[in-house]
Order: sequence, then structure tokens, then C-alpha cells
Amino acid sequence: MRTLRALVMGCLVLVAAPVEADPAKKVFVLGVDGLDPDLIQSYMEQGLLPNIKKMVDKGHFKPLQTSMPPLSPVAWSTFITGMDPGGHGVFDFIHRDPATLFPTRAESGVRPGENVSVGECKQFPLPWPLADEGGPENLRQGRAFWQILEEHDIPTTVYRMPANFPPVESPGKSLSGMGTPDIRGTPGTFSFYTDRFIPDASSFTGGEVYPVRVEEGHVRSTSKSKQVKLYGPQKPFLDLSTAECRKKNELECKESREPECGKLLEVPFDVYVDADRPAAMFYVQDTEFVLQQGEWSDWVPIDFEVLPVLGSVSAIGRFYLKQVRPDFELYVTPLQINPDNPGAMQISTPESWSHELCEELGYFYTQELAEDTKALTHGVLNGHEFWDQTQFVFDEQKRAFEHMLQGFDEGLLFYYFSSIDQNSHMLWNYMDPEHPGFLEDRQLQRGIESLYRDLDALVGRALEAVGKDTTFVIMSDHGFCPFYWQVNLNSWLVEKGYVTLLDPAKQGQTILFGNVDWSRTKAYAVGLNGLYVNLRGRERRGIVNQGREHEELLAQLERDLLEMVDPRNEQQVVTLVVNSRRDLHGPLAGSGPDLIVGYNWGYRSSWKSPLGEFPKQVFEDNTQPWSGDHSVDHRHVPGVLISNRPITLEQPALYDLTVAILDEYGVPKPEEMIGEDCLGD
Amino acid sequence: MFGSKIKIDPDLLKKIKMYAKIAGYSSPEEFITHALEKEIAQLEEADSEEEIKKKLQGLGYIS
Repeated sequence: MRTLRALVMGCLVLVAAPVEADPAKKVFVLGVDGLDPDLIQSYMEQGLLPNIKKMVDKGHFKPLQTSMPPLSPVAWSTFITGMDPGGHGVFDFIHRDPATLFPTRAESGVRPGENVSVGECKQFPLPWPLADEGGPENLRQGRAFWQILEEHDIPTTVYRMPANFPPVESPGKSLSGMGTPDIRGTPGTFSFYTDRFIPDASSFTGGEVYPVRVEEGHVRSTSKSKQVKLYGPQKPFLDLSTAECRKKNELECKESREPECGKLLEVPFDVYVDADRPAAMFYVQDTEFVLQQGEWSDWVPIDFEVLPVLGSVSAIGRFYLKQVRPDFELYVTPLQINPDNPGAMQISTPESWSHELCEELGYFYTQELAEDTKALTHGVLNGHEFWDQTQFVFDEQKRAFEHMLQGFDEGLLFYYFSSIDQNSHMLWNYMDPEHPGFLEDRQLQRGIESLYRDLDALVGRALEAVGKDTTFVIMSDHGFCPFYWQVNLNSWLVEKGYVTLLDPAKQGQTILFGNVDWSRTKAYAVGLNGLYVNLRGRERRGIVNQGREHEELLAQLERDLLEMVDPRNEQQVVTLVVNSRRDLHGPLAGSGPDLIVGYNWGYRSSWKSPLGEFPKQVFEDNTQPWSGDHSVDHRHVPGVLISNRPITLEQPALYDLTVAILDEYGVPKPEEMIGEDCLGD
Repeated sequence: MFGSKIKIDPDLLKKIKMYAKIAGYSSPEEFITHALEKEIAQLEEADSEEEIKKKLQGLGYIS
């Protein structure tokens, strides 16, 4: 049998036509997360985007059909592989583990290593070759288009492509983007040190508040040790794998009052407040610096010692002295994987490339989305401070952009910008008087417009740099719409009888499906758009039989979802339902949510529902600073396709662009890709 | 064996008795104990709720 297969494979290799790709051919893809076709059109008509208009006048501009759901990890995975979620297996930001029903990150995860328990809640990680050491894992399936190009000897440079952490193997240069964690292994956790009492601090997400006191000018922690500390990854020798050990750790934590319960690697630092002026002196390992009130530090390297002499984990962070008096307030960015020395956390191919970039550009943000939206959400940064922080991120990205353009001599260059997406999420309520969270601010109401104008200047620079023989594509993964109203989809499932709660009186008081009676629950929602059937043989406590019962339930759910009406305004709430196995392509179509819910314009899944909460109301206004969004019916939020080449399809889609990029080099479409070439000569 | 009585659906109990014998358990109780121990170990190995929250809630899209 093995011989026969080898023979068949050999024949296939002989039959496949050789492709002579031309490495001298240049293709530049400028990927701008969240770039919206309606806003582009409107700003162009107002004369605000002269360079993009020039490109559109000479070339072509069309909305780019995005993925369903139109979420960045899904959409970028679609562009990367030329497949829909049925092929690449990324259906949302969040999936769920059918064994535990706990939510998990969709596009990247951590493969657990093996540890030997040495008693007393201590462990020792087993090194290779005794065991697989574990580590971060890219969960996206399928080949990336730049891997295919490299197979044809086309040199590629891929800068901060989302949904590519750790970066897939490639002889080309690539730097990971969205999906890359901070040093703690989270999407980003800021630190806020203050002597002000913040009543809701324990409910902060994406950040931690550490209480301090200023004693004779010295900023001290309220813990027993009094040391103010920065926190890194979990201590590798602390065994918290059992409930007993977690309990023991909690008791020790109460005793020491140590933040983070002593679970994380720590670096103490000192801050002395100036007696007269609003300023402070900082001592962070070997770095000393002074900050005035309202001033940001540059990047500060921080090394967390794992074992004396043997090794450390290297991070970088920036400090912002928000206020000195009457309350002391210090913000520290999520600590980044140090690009100069990422250690075991590979963020680039070749591994040395992030170090080389650091040598040339200085330190830079490596965390997946560097704009600190959580700090604004929790009021740790105000709108203007958030804007300054995002401008710093944008400036870093602009410096890297110039560097990439200057070195772009051949092959493919992909470059990614995050600023328009993140600011469209956070500043929408400043430009939209209809928004329930509308705020008036003369500077911030023009924030999004200002970023589009900055992008236009970059396009002008790129047009000069790349020359007319280069195929130049500006594209985005999705557009934007306002987020006016929240839908608690899990609460709606309760209301319709699909979910039964163990104690209805406790509705809204638990997370992670804590109050669900699985023996009487037919369907549940996880993530921003995913809806799952509690299927027997798949879910741990499934009750719906596979086959006809499953299909009938899906049909009923689809009908009910499309009939959902917001009683407050009589609007239809859901305008599209995708049945994954019916509507998607590829072997993984059945491995994600059974249904993908496409909300109407202005609606979105609530803040609570995606992680299995059941608030009492189904519909609520959204008054959060996160005020623009795109996790809706994909037809409401297409992306952008602008090119100096003709766009040959009436309705081009993300997966068509993948095929088109290969075709620029004469590389035929692989069998698994579902699109068509959408660019002419 | 059990400190308190646990009600089990009669059909399920029938299956437990049958499969306990096939799988070589000395009694249905031993089979049930083994199955529950396995289930608890799986839950204990999973990240705590707090850790799951921390890993996911940094995403801007959820709170």
C-alpha cells in the first residue's frame, strides 16, 4: 500500500507543470485593519485623501467581501489561506473546549508542557528530549500564501500579519501580529499603581490595579514586603495544577497580601516623588529616569529572573506618570515580549529578524494590538491620553513602514497597520451624535478622520517608493459600523427555552455557564458570533442526538434568530445566520460553531454573553467607550480593495485576493483555495 | 461505598452494570468511582476560572 501511494505521489509530481515565478516582480500589499469603504468614499469626496484618490482615479476601488463572521482573526486567516473557516478552522476570537465547555482562544494557544511534581506544590518542567516542553501554538490550519510563494523562490517579507503567532515556518521574513501575547501570556494586561481607592478595580479586565502609599516621598506597596513590583509570566516551578495547591497558594497570598498571590515572576522597582515639583524619579533594574507629571517614558527593558545564572525572561514596558498629587497614579503598559531577545517566544522568522529590526528601529510594541483600549474602557487613561498612546504606536508603525519600503527590492511585501481599527472601536462615539455613548470633544471627534489622512500620506509615500511596475494593493479585513445596542444571546436562549438554568433566581450572577442545567439545555453561545448545539457525543453533557434531531434544531434556531426583534425599536436584530456545515467549505466546517449569527447594523453580541454569562436583559444600550464594531452580518461591513491593477471581479472577496497574489507570480491556485483571481494585468 | 445515596436513572444503571462487568470492574460502584475520579481530574487540570478570564478578557471585545 505504501509503495502504491509513493508511486501515485511520484506520478503527481511528474505531471505537475513547473511554474517559473519571477522574483523580480514586486507586489506590495498594505493591510489596514478596519479600513472602511464608506468612510474612504466620504473622506475622498471631501478632498481629504488626495493620494488615495489619485490611486483610485488611475486604478480601481471596490468593497472587499469579508468573512463570516467579519472578525479580524477569521478574516485575516481567510486572506492568509484563501479558505473560509471551514478550511482554516478559525471561526471567532473565542472557541470552546467541548470537553469542559470552557472558552479558549481561537487562533493561538499554549500546548502544555510536562512537569514533574516534586511535592509541596512545587514542580520541575521536564526538558526535551524527556518530554515535549510545550509552548505557544498557532491553531490556524492551511498553508499561508507566503509559504507557497517561498516554495517558488519568491522572497517574502510579512510584517505583523494577524493570526500568525507563532509565525508559521518560512524561509522568508515575518513578524507576528494579532495573537501575540504580552509577557504574561494574555492579550495585554496593563498595571496601574495608585493610592486612590478604585471601587470597581477587582472587576477590571485587561489590567490590574496595585494599591500603593507614598511614604515620605517613597512609593510603597500595601503588601507586607512594601515593595512595588512589575509582574511577568507565571513562576515555572510553582505547581498550581491541582485544587489543593491553588487553595494553599491563596492562603499564602492572604497572609502576605502580595499582589498576584506570588504566582508571577516579579521585578521590584522604586519610585521617589519630588517634594516640590510634580515629578518622580524611577529606578527599574539598571535604568534610571525622571518623569514629569503627564509624561511617558521611552521603552524600559525588564528582565525577570527564572533561575539565578541559568536564565531570565526579557520584557519591555513604558511608564506614564499620570498624576503625582493629590493622588499618585502611575500607568505601565502591558509588558511586551522583548523583540531584541524574545527567548522561547518566537515572534519572527527567521528567529533573529525581530532582533535585527530592534537594532535598526529600537524597541517596539510586540503585543498583538498595542492600542490600550482596556485602559480607556476602565478610565485609567482618558480619551486624550489614549489618543497619545495610540499615536505613539502609530509612529512606531510608520517608522517601520519607511524602513520596509526602503528595503523593498524584490518579491512580496505585506505591511499591517492596526491604528484605524483600534481607534474606530474607541472613538466612534465622538463622531456619532446618535450613539448612546456620544461624547463631545473637538479634537477626538476628528480622531478617525485624522488617521485616514495620515494613512493617505503613507500611501503617497508608498506610491513614490514602489514605482508603477509594482502591483500595489491596499486592503482591509473588514469595515466598521456603530455599536449602539448589545444582544445578550445566551439570555435570549434562556427566554426561548433553549437553555435551562439551574436556579433562575441567580440569573446574571455567574460566568462561564456556571448556572446552566446541561441536562435540559439544547444550545449555548460562545464567542462573539458562535452558537453551539449541546450535542450528544461531542459536548461533555450533550443531550441533542446527532442526525435528524440536530438538523431540526438548527433549522428551528435559524428561524427563531431571524425573527428576533428588539421590542424597544421594532428592529430586526439578526439579518443572517450561517449554518457552518451547510454554508462553509472544507474539512473543518463541522468543527466550529453550528451556527454563526450575523447581527443587524448597530447591534452586536453583548459584553457578557461571549464568555457564558446570562444577564437578565436580552437587549441593552452600549455606553462603553468601545463604541464602533464589526462583528455583525458581514454584508454590513465589507473591507476595502484598492489597486493600481484592474479589479476584474464584480464582488471580490478576501479569498479571491489570495489567489490573485499567487497569480501575480504565475503560481496556480492550490486545490484547497476557494477563490478566483480578482486582479487583471 | 457512597456516603450518601445518589439517584441514577434506571436505564443508565442498567448500562453501568453491564459495562462494569464487560470492562472487568469488581462492582458497578468501582466503575462509577473510577469514572468520576477521571472526570474530576480533567476538571482540576483545566485552568481555573480566574485564569481563563485573565487569558481572554484582555481582548477588547469582551469584558
